[in-house]
Amino acid sequence: MSGKDYSSATDDALVKAARRGTLDAFEELVARHRDRIYARAVSMMRNEEDAVDLSQEAWVKGWQRLKQFQFESSFSTWMTRIVINLCLDQLRRQKRIRSESIQEMDDEGVAERQLPVVITNPTERLERNELRARIDVALAQLSESHRTVLVLHEFERMEYKEIARAMECSIGTVMSRLFYARRKMASLLAELRRDQ
Amino acid sequence: MNEEQQLRLQAFLDGELPEREARAVAAWVESDPAAADLLVELKAIRQALAGSEPAVSLPESREFFWSRIARDIEAGERRETAAGPAGFRWQHLLWPIGATALCVAVVLLQNPFATTERPVASIAPDADTPIVEAMQPGSDATTYRNESDGTTLVWFSMTDNSRTKPATATF
Repeated sequence: MSGKDYSSATDDALVKAARRGTLDAFEELVARHRDRIYARAVSMMRNEEDAVDLSQEAWVKGWQRLKQFQFESSFSTWMTRIVINLCLDQLRRQKRIRSESIQEMDDEGVAERQLPVVITNPTERLERNELRARIDVALAQLSESHRTVLVLHEFERMEYKEIARAMECSIGTVMSRLFYARRKMASLLAELRRDQ
Repeated sequence: MNEEQQLRLQAFLDGELPEREARAVAAWVESDPAAADLLVELKAIRQALAGSEPAVSLPESREFFWSRIARDIEAGERRETAAGPAGFRWQHLLWPIGATALCVAVVLLQNPFATTERPVASIAPDADTPIVEAMQPGSDATTYRNESDGTTLVWFSMTDNSRTKPATATF
Protein backbone atom coordinates (compact mmCIF):
# COMPACT_ATOMS: atom_id res chain seq x y z
CA MET A 1 0.00 0.00 0.00
CA SER A 2 1.46 3.31 -0.99
CA GLY A 3 -1.07 5.68 0.57
CA LYS A 4 -1.04 7.79 -2.62
CA ASP A 5 -4.25 9.60 -3.63
CA TYR A 6 -5.49 8.02 -6.84
CA SER A 7 -8.86 9.75 -7.05
CA SER A 8 -7.82 12.01 -9.93
CA ALA A 9 -5.96 9.38 -11.94
CA THR A 10 -7.41 7.99 -15.17
CA ASP A 11 -8.58 4.39 -15.36
CA ASP A 12 -5.68 3.50 -17.62
CA ALA A 13 -3.17 4.97 -15.17
CA LEU A 14 -4.81 3.06 -12.35
CA VAL A 15 -4.69 -0.18 -14.30
CA LYS A 16 -0.99 0.33 -14.99
CA ALA A 17 -0.31 1.03 -11.32
CA ALA A 18 -2.39 -1.97 -10.26
CA ARG A 19 -0.43 -4.17 -12.67
CA ARG A 20 2.69 -3.19 -10.78
CA GLY A 21 1.01 -4.58 -7.68
CA THR A 22 -0.42 -1.39 -6.18
CA LEU A 23 -3.59 -2.47 -4.41
CA ASP A 24 -4.59 1.13 -3.65
CA ALA A 25 -4.87 1.84 -7.37
CA PHE A 26 -7.05 -1.22 -7.83
CA GLU A 27 -9.20 -0.18 -4.89
CA GLU A 28 -9.89 3.11 -6.66
CA LEU A 29 -10.98 1.21 -9.78
CA VAL A 30 -13.31 -0.94 -7.68
CA ALA A 31 -14.82 2.16 -6.06
CA ARG A 32 -15.44 3.79 -9.45
CA HIS A 33 -17.04 0.86 -11.22
CA ARG A 34 -18.47 -1.37 -8.51
CA ASP A 35 -22.07 -0.18 -9.01
CA ARG A 36 -21.99 -0.87 -12.73
CA ILE A 37 -20.57 -4.35 -12.24
CA TYR A 38 -23.10 -5.06 -9.52
CA ALA A 39 -25.97 -3.74 -11.65
CA ARG A 40 -25.04 -6.10 -14.48
CA ALA A 41 -24.96 -9.03 -12.06
CA VAL A 42 -28.36 -8.02 -10.64
CA SER A 43 -29.95 -7.75 -14.08
CA MET A 44 -28.72 -11.23 -14.97
CA MET A 45 -29.21 -13.04 -11.68
CA ARG A 46 -32.29 -11.22 -10.30
CA ASN A 47 -30.93 -11.93 -6.86
CA GLU A 48 -29.08 -9.38 -4.71
CA GLU A 49 -27.06 -11.88 -2.69
CA ASP A 50 -25.81 -13.74 -5.77
CA ALA A 51 -25.07 -10.41 -7.44
CA VAL A 52 -22.93 -9.18 -4.54
CA ASP A 53 -20.99 -12.45 -4.39
CA LEU A 54 -20.47 -12.62 -8.14
CA SER A 55 -19.41 -9.00 -8.46
CA GLN A 56 -16.92 -9.54 -5.65
CA GLU A 57 -15.60 -12.65 -7.41
CA ALA A 58 -15.36 -10.66 -10.64
CA TRP A 59 -13.14 -8.05 -8.99
CA VAL A 60 -10.82 -10.73 -7.61
CA LYS A 61 -10.58 -12.31 -11.07
CA GLY A 62 -10.03 -8.85 -12.55
CA TRP A 63 -7.01 -8.35 -10.29
CA GLN A 64 -5.63 -11.79 -11.14
CA ARG A 65 -6.05 -11.22 -14.90
CA LEU A 66 -4.97 -7.59 -15.10
CA LYS A 67 -2.05 -8.50 -17.32
CA GLN A 68 -4.53 -9.81 -19.91
CA PHE A 69 -6.22 -6.42 -20.22
CA GLN A 70 -5.06 -5.03 -23.56
CA PHE A 71 -6.61 -1.51 -23.33
CA GLU A 72 -8.70 -2.38 -26.42
CA SER A 73 -11.91 -1.52 -24.57
CA SER A 74 -12.56 0.55 -21.49
CA PHE A 75 -11.62 -1.06 -18.20
CA SER A 76 -15.26 -1.05 -17.06
CA THR A 77 -16.35 -2.87 -20.25
CA TRP A 78 -13.62 -5.46 -19.68
CA MET A 79 -14.72 -5.92 -16.06
CA THR A 80 -18.36 -6.16 -17.13
CA ARG A 81 -17.49 -9.03 -19.47
CA ILE A 82 -15.85 -10.83 -16.57
CA VAL A 83 -18.93 -10.53 -14.38
CA ILE A 84 -21.19 -11.55 -17.29
CA ASN A 85 -19.17 -14.74 -17.76
CA LEU A 86 -19.34 -15.48 -14.06
CA CYS A 87 -23.11 -14.95 -14.08
CA LEU A 88 -23.52 -17.24 -17.09
CA ASP A 89 -21.42 -19.91 -15.38
CA GLN A 90 -23.54 -19.58 -12.27
CA LEU A 91 -26.77 -19.79 -14.25
CA ARG A 92 -25.48 -22.90 -15.96
CA ARG A 93 -24.56 -24.39 -12.62
CA GLN A 94 -28.01 -23.72 -11.34
CA LYS A 95 -29.26 -25.52 -14.42
CA ARG A 96 -31.72 -22.79 -15.01
CA ILE A 97 -30.97 -22.17 -18.66
CA ARG A 98 -30.48 -25.83 -19.57
CA SER A 99 -33.44 -27.08 -17.61
CA GLU A 100 -35.68 -25.30 -20.03
CA SER A 101 -36.40 -28.07 -22.46
CA ILE A 102 -36.47 -27.59 -26.20
CA GLN A 103 -40.19 -28.29 -26.12
CA GLU A 104 -40.68 -25.57 -23.54
CA MET A 105 -38.69 -23.13 -25.63
CA ASP A 106 -40.73 -23.98 -28.71
CA ASP A 107 -43.98 -23.56 -26.84
CA GLU A 108 -42.83 -20.22 -25.53
CA GLY A 109 -41.87 -19.14 -29.01
CA VAL A 110 -45.26 -20.12 -30.37
CA ALA A 111 -46.99 -18.01 -27.72
CA GLU A 112 -44.92 -14.92 -28.52
CA ARG A 113 -45.37 -15.37 -32.25
CA GLN A 114 -49.11 -15.20 -31.79
CA LEU A 115 -49.07 -11.99 -29.76
CA PRO A 116 -50.74 -9.07 -31.52
CA VAL A 117 -48.34 -6.34 -32.58
CA VAL A 118 -48.33 -3.48 -30.07
CA ILE A 119 -49.04 -0.45 -32.23
CA THR A 120 -49.12 2.20 -29.51
CA ASN A 121 -45.74 2.71 -27.92
CA PRO A 122 -46.30 1.41 -24.36
CA THR A 123 -43.49 3.53 -22.97
CA GLU A 124 -44.40 6.82 -24.59
CA ARG A 125 -44.37 9.90 -22.31
CA LEU A 126 -43.23 7.92 -19.30
CA GLU A 127 -40.80 9.53 -16.87
CA ARG A 128 -37.37 7.88 -16.94
CA ASN A 129 -37.74 6.49 -13.42
CA GLU A 130 -41.21 5.14 -14.16
CA LEU A 131 -39.94 3.59 -17.36
CA ARG A 132 -37.07 1.96 -15.51
CA ALA A 133 -39.41 0.58 -12.88
CA ARG A 134 -41.72 -0.91 -15.48
CA ILE A 135 -38.86 -2.39 -17.42
CA ASP A 136 -37.61 -3.97 -14.21
CA VAL A 137 -41.01 -5.53 -13.55
CA ALA A 138 -41.26 -6.82 -17.12
CA LEU A 139 -37.71 -8.18 -17.11
CA ALA A 140 -38.48 -10.17 -13.98
CA GLN A 141 -41.25 -11.96 -15.86
CA LEU A 142 -39.07 -13.16 -18.70
CA SER A 143 -37.45 -16.59 -18.70
CA GLU A 144 -33.74 -16.70 -17.73
CA SER A 145 -32.55 -17.31 -21.26
CA HIS A 146 -34.72 -14.59 -22.81
CA ARG A 147 -33.78 -12.04 -20.16
CA THR A 148 -30.08 -12.86 -20.51
CA VAL A 149 -30.13 -12.31 -24.28
CA LEU A 150 -32.06 -9.07 -23.88
CA VAL A 151 -29.69 -7.75 -21.20
CA LEU A 152 -26.60 -8.62 -23.22
CA HIS A 153 -27.98 -7.09 -26.41
CA GLU A 154 -29.83 -4.02 -25.17
CA PHE A 155 -27.88 -3.05 -22.07
CA GLU A 156 -24.44 -4.38 -22.93
CA ARG A 157 -24.73 -3.64 -26.68
CA MET A 158 -23.23 -6.99 -27.59
CA GLU A 159 -23.56 -8.30 -31.16
CA TYR A 160 -25.35 -11.56 -31.97
CA LYS A 161 -22.10 -13.48 -32.42
CA GLU A 162 -20.67 -12.19 -29.13
CA ILE A 163 -23.80 -13.27 -27.27
CA ALA A 164 -23.74 -16.66 -28.99
CA ARG A 165 -20.14 -17.15 -27.88
CA ALA A 166 -20.86 -16.09 -24.31
CA MET A 167 -23.99 -18.22 -24.01
CA GLU A 168 -22.49 -21.16 -25.91
CA CYS A 169 -25.35 -21.36 -28.39
CA SER A 170 -25.90 -20.66 -32.08
CA ILE A 171 -26.51 -17.21 -33.56
CA GLY A 172 -29.91 -18.50 -34.71
CA THR A 173 -30.82 -19.30 -31.12
CA VAL A 174 -29.73 -15.82 -30.02
CA MET A 175 -31.87 -14.20 -32.73
CA SER A 176 -34.85 -16.32 -31.85
CA ARG A 177 -34.57 -15.68 -28.10
CA LEU A 178 -34.03 -11.96 -28.64
CA PHE A 179 -37.09 -11.74 -30.87
CA TYR A 180 -39.35 -13.51 -28.42
CA ALA A 181 -37.92 -11.53 -25.50
CA ARG A 182 -38.70 -8.25 -27.27
CA ARG A 183 -42.19 -9.34 -28.20
CA LYS A 184 -42.87 -10.45 -24.66
CA MET A 185 -41.49 -7.18 -23.31
CA ALA A 186 -43.76 -5.20 -25.65
CA SER A 187 -46.75 -7.19 -24.46
CA LEU A 188 -45.82 -6.90 -20.76
CA LEU A 189 -45.21 -3.15 -20.99
CA ALA A 190 -48.53 -2.69 -22.81
CA GLU A 191 -50.26 -4.63 -20.03
CA LEU A 192 -48.62 -2.49 -17.38
CA ARG A 193 -49.81 0.63 -19.19
CA ARG A 194 -53.36 -0.71 -19.36
CA ASP A 195 -53.31 -1.62 -15.66
CA GLN A 196 -52.25 1.90 -14.71
CA MET B 1 -45.02 -13.61 -42.03
CA ASN B 2 -42.99 -16.67 -41.12
CA GLU B 3 -40.37 -16.92 -38.38
CA GLU B 4 -37.47 -16.55 -40.77
CA GLN B 5 -38.90 -13.27 -42.07
CA GLN B 6 -39.49 -12.03 -38.53
CA LEU B 7 -35.90 -12.75 -37.54
CA ARG B 8 -34.59 -11.11 -40.69
CA LEU B 9 -36.63 -8.01 -39.88
CA GLN B 10 -35.11 -7.93 -36.42
CA ALA B 11 -31.58 -8.40 -37.80
CA PHE B 12 -32.31 -5.47 -40.12
CA LEU B 13 -33.26 -3.34 -37.10
CA ASP B 14 -30.11 -4.37 -35.24
CA GLY B 15 -27.84 -3.63 -38.18
CA GLU B 16 -26.77 -7.25 -38.41
CA LEU B 17 -27.57 -7.74 -42.11
CA PRO B 18 -25.15 -7.28 -44.99
CA GLU B 19 -25.86 -4.10 -46.94
CA ARG B 20 -27.46 -5.80 -49.92
CA GLU B 21 -29.82 -7.85 -47.75
CA ALA B 22 -30.65 -4.80 -45.66
CA ARG B 23 -31.74 -2.93 -48.79
CA ALA B 24 -34.00 -5.84 -49.74
CA VAL B 25 -35.62 -5.84 -46.27
CA ALA B 26 -36.11 -2.06 -46.39
CA ALA B 27 -37.96 -2.45 -49.68
CA TRP B 28 -40.08 -5.26 -48.22
CA VAL B 29 -41.03 -3.13 -45.18
CA GLU B 30 -42.10 -0.33 -47.52
CA SER B 31 -44.55 -2.63 -49.26
CA ASP B 32 -45.79 -4.77 -46.35
CA PRO B 33 -47.81 -3.01 -43.57
CA ALA B 34 -47.55 -6.04 -41.23
CA ALA B 35 -43.77 -5.98 -41.50
CA ALA B 36 -43.80 -2.19 -40.97
CA ASP B 37 -45.95 -2.55 -37.82
CA LEU B 38 -43.71 -5.26 -36.37
CA LEU B 39 -40.65 -3.16 -37.08
CA VAL B 40 -42.25 -0.21 -35.23
CA GLU B 41 -42.92 -2.42 -32.20
CA LEU B 42 -39.42 -3.87 -32.11
CA LYS B 43 -37.90 -0.42 -32.53
CA ALA B 44 -40.02 1.03 -29.69
CA ILE B 45 -38.86 -1.71 -27.31
CA ARG B 46 -35.26 -1.26 -28.30
CA GLN B 47 -35.50 2.48 -27.71
CA ALA B 48 -37.27 2.02 -24.39
CA LEU B 49 -34.60 -0.34 -23.13
CA ALA B 50 -31.68 1.78 -24.29
CA GLY B 51 -30.39 3.61 -21.24
CA SER B 52 -33.24 2.35 -19.08
CA GLU B 53 -31.46 -0.34 -17.18
CA PRO B 54 -32.86 -0.33 -13.66
CA ALA B 55 -30.50 1.75 -11.50
CA VAL B 56 -29.08 -0.20 -8.57
CA SER B 57 -26.26 0.48 -6.15
CA LEU B 58 -24.19 -2.03 -4.29
CA PRO B 59 -25.73 -2.36 -0.84
CA GLU B 60 -22.32 -2.34 0.90
CA SER B 61 -19.98 0.45 1.91
CA ARG B 62 -16.84 1.07 -0.12
CA GLU B 63 -14.64 -0.03 2.77
CA PHE B 64 -16.53 -3.21 3.57
CA PHE B 65 -16.81 -4.35 -0.05
CA TRP B 66 -13.13 -3.66 -0.63
CA SER B 67 -12.09 -5.48 2.54
CA ARG B 68 -13.71 -8.65 1.22
CA ILE B 69 -12.03 -8.31 -2.15
CA ALA B 70 -8.61 -7.53 -0.60
CA ARG B 71 -8.95 -10.56 1.68
CA ASP B 72 -9.65 -12.85 -1.31
CA ILE B 73 -6.83 -11.33 -3.35
CA GLU B 74 -4.36 -11.89 -0.52
CA ALA B 75 -5.62 -15.43 0.07
CA GLY B 76 -5.17 -16.19 -3.64
CA GLU B 77 -1.63 -14.83 -3.60
CA ARG B 78 -0.78 -16.87 -0.51
CA ARG B 79 -2.03 -19.99 -2.28
CA GLU B 80 0.09 -19.18 -5.33
CA THR B 81 3.16 -18.65 -3.20
CA ALA B 82 2.56 -21.92 -1.38
CA ALA B 83 2.15 -23.75 -4.69
CA GLY B 84 5.70 -22.77 -5.66
CA PRO B 85 7.04 -20.99 -8.75
CA ALA B 86 4.53 -19.97 -11.41
CA GLY B 87 3.39 -22.90 -13.45
CA PHE B 88 4.77 -25.54 -11.05
CA ARG B 89 2.23 -28.04 -9.85
CA TRP B 90 2.76 -31.34 -8.08
CA GLN B 91 0.51 -32.90 -10.69
CA HIS B 92 3.28 -32.24 -13.20
CA LEU B 93 5.30 -34.97 -11.48
CA LEU B 94 2.61 -37.62 -11.96
CA TRP B 95 3.82 -38.69 -15.40
CA PRO B 96 7.52 -39.00 -14.55
CA ILE B 97 6.74 -40.79 -11.27
CA GLY B 98 4.27 -43.11 -12.98
CA ALA B 99 6.71 -43.91 -15.77
CA THR B 100 9.50 -44.60 -13.28
CA ALA B 101 7.23 -46.90 -11.24
CA LEU B 102 6.29 -48.78 -14.40
CA CYS B 103 9.95 -49.26 -15.34
CA VAL B 104 10.78 -50.54 -11.88
CA ALA B 105 7.86 -52.97 -12.03
CA VAL B 106 8.99 -54.29 -15.42
CA VAL B 107 12.58 -54.73 -14.19
CA LEU B 108 11.41 -56.59 -11.09
CA LEU B 109 9.18 -58.89 -13.11
CA GLN B 110 12.02 -59.72 -15.47
CA ASN B 111 14.74 -59.76 -12.80
CA PRO B 112 17.52 -61.97 -14.09
CA PHE B 113 18.64 -62.56 -10.51
CA ALA B 114 15.25 -63.84 -9.47
CA THR B 115 15.46 -67.36 -8.13
CA THR B 116 12.96 -70.15 -8.16
CA GLU B 117 14.29 -71.32 -4.86
CA ARG B 118 12.18 -71.13 -1.78
CA PRO B 119 12.50 -67.79 -0.02
CA VAL B 120 14.69 -67.83 3.05
CA ALA B 121 12.04 -66.03 5.04
CA SER B 122 8.80 -64.25 4.42
CA ILE B 123 6.70 -62.05 6.62
CA ALA B 124 2.95 -62.31 6.71
CA PRO B 125 1.04 -59.02 6.42
CA ASP B 126 -1.33 -59.66 9.29
CA ALA B 127 -1.99 -61.89 12.26
CA ASP B 128 -4.48 -64.09 10.40
CA THR B 129 -2.01 -65.08 7.74
CA PRO B 130 0.36 -67.88 8.75
CA ILE B 131 4.06 -67.02 8.67
CA VAL B 132 6.04 -69.42 6.56
CA GLU B 133 9.77 -69.58 7.05
CA ALA B 134 12.62 -71.92 6.43
CA MET B 135 14.65 -72.67 9.52
CA GLN B 136 17.90 -72.29 7.64
CA PRO B 137 18.75 -71.70 4.02
CA GLY B 138 19.09 -75.03 2.33
CA SER B 139 17.67 -76.92 5.29
CA ASP B 140 14.77 -79.33 4.95
CA ALA B 141 12.80 -77.91 7.85
CA THR B 142 9.97 -75.45 7.27
CA THR B 143 7.97 -73.68 9.95
CA TYR B 144 4.34 -72.59 9.63
CA ARG B 145 3.29 -70.25 12.41
CA ASN B 146 -0.16 -68.77 12.85
CA GLU B 147 -0.11 -65.88 15.33
CA SER B 148 -3.89 -65.66 15.53
CA ASP B 149 -4.30 -69.04 17.16
CA GLY B 150 -0.74 -69.46 18.45
CA THR B 151 -0.07 -72.60 16.45
CA THR B 152 3.34 -73.48 15.08
CA LEU B 153 3.91 -76.38 12.75
CA VAL B 154 7.36 -77.55 11.74
CA TRP B 155 7.85 -79.78 8.72
CA PHE B 156 10.95 -81.93 8.35
CA SER B 157 11.69 -83.39 4.96
CA MET B 158 13.26 -86.81 5.10
CA THR B 159 15.07 -87.11 1.86
CA ASP B 160 16.37 -90.61 2.47
CA ASN B 161 12.94 -92.16 1.98
CA SER B 162 11.42 -89.25 -0.04
CA ARG B 163 8.72 -88.60 2.53
CA THR B 164 7.88 -85.58 4.53
CA LYS B 165 6.80 -85.91 8.13
CA PRO B 166 5.13 -83.18 10.08
CA ALA B 167 6.11 -82.40 13.64
CA THR B 168 4.60 -79.83 15.91
CA ALA B 169 6.24 -77.71 18.52
CA THR B 170 4.81 -75.15 20.83
CA PHE B 171 6.65 -71.93 21.61
